Amino acid sequence: MNGKVMVVTSGKGGVGKTTAVANIGCALARRGKKVALVDADIGLRNLDIVLGLENRIVFDIIHAMEGRCRLRQALIKDKRVQTLYLLPAAQSKDKEAIQPEQMKQLTGELRDQFDYVILDCPAGIERGFKNAIVGADDAIIITTPEVSAVRDADRIVGLLEAEGIEKPKLVINRIRPDMVKRGDMLDIDDVLDILAIDLLGVVPDDESVITSTNKGEPAVLDGASRAGEAFRRIAARLEGEDVPFLSMEAPTFWGRIKRFLGAAR
Amino acid sequence: MVFDFVSWFLGRRDKPRSKDLAKERLKVVLTHDRVDISPQMFEKLRRDLAIACAKYVEIDEAAMSVRLDSQDRRLALIASVPVLGTKATAYSSKRRGKMG
Repeated sequence: MNGKVMVVTSGKGGVGKTTAVANIGCALARRGKKVALVDADIGLRNLDIVLGLENRIVFDIIHAMEGRCRLRQALIKDKRVQTLYLLPAAQSKDKEAIQPEQMKQLTGELRDQFDYVILDCPAGIERGFKNAIVGADDAIIITTPEVSAVRDADRIVGLLEAEGIEKPKLVINRIRPDMVKRGDMLDIDDVLDILAIDLLGVVPDDESVITSTNKGEPAVLDGASRAGEAFRRIAARLEGEDVPFLSMEAPTFWGRIKRFLGAAR
Repeated sequence: MVFDFVSWFLGRRDKPRSKDLAKERLKVVLTHDRVDISPQMFEKLRRDLAIACAKYVEIDEAAMSVRLDSQDRRLALIASVPVLGTKATAYSSKRRGKMG
């Protein structure tokens, strides 16, 4: 197998990187792909709890890199989606514990065993960021329609290009259709006009993301979640399908009722 | 407040939309982030540009504007230089004078 290594990054923290990794990975696995999710945020382990796998960690990424266990032993197999695996971050070490060469070797090994290797990059542009991107073929940039997040995303585009990762793809997260309609939030075209990179997906601000995170179940597993639907479409696009972007129109009264009936069916 | 409500009710929109401000501010800051040039360097560039133009035409340096702009991640230097008059006449008469 010669899988694809993708890094999910944003520069700014708190824009939804970890949620995006969990959902995109889960959606790809549900399509029958073998997926490894790697938490590259050493010292700030989070992807495990978002996925609901926090109680199953025995070994972590540092154990596997230092040869204290086999890579296979550190990979946690998800019980809901058979082809989904997690390589958890170490909680006791910090980002300096990993060398770029080690990361490159690790992603190389994972690439041989999986269709997709998705790395959850730490916030910032220091050592942790450099380690996370070193073995990646492609990058997905997550941003929200806010000036700070868009500015940081732009900086990341430049840094990725400097490292030879061309044409990163953009996901705009937490769009609020009501605010966009009032002209109080940058819309999709505004963000694309500013960043000038390809759009991979648009995700509405959705409470179901918080409730699903509370439960440790990615939103893509919830058929009624709008955000879940947005992430399923992102997975389809990564697989080369030409699917329309989720409508970001503010829902009308009748639209809400229709959606409720659709979800109940 | 009553006036605000009435204008809102009548659908008047004289207030600038906050997203337009966001976009404008971002465009300016990103253009400078991308080119990574210090204000001092930029001023030097502006000055040199003025000197270069002044060699050929008479310009109004005070009214000249130079800015960076970006489109599709490509940068452009946009300069607007008001020309007060050409030096062509002075140039050619001098030459004629020499010849004569």
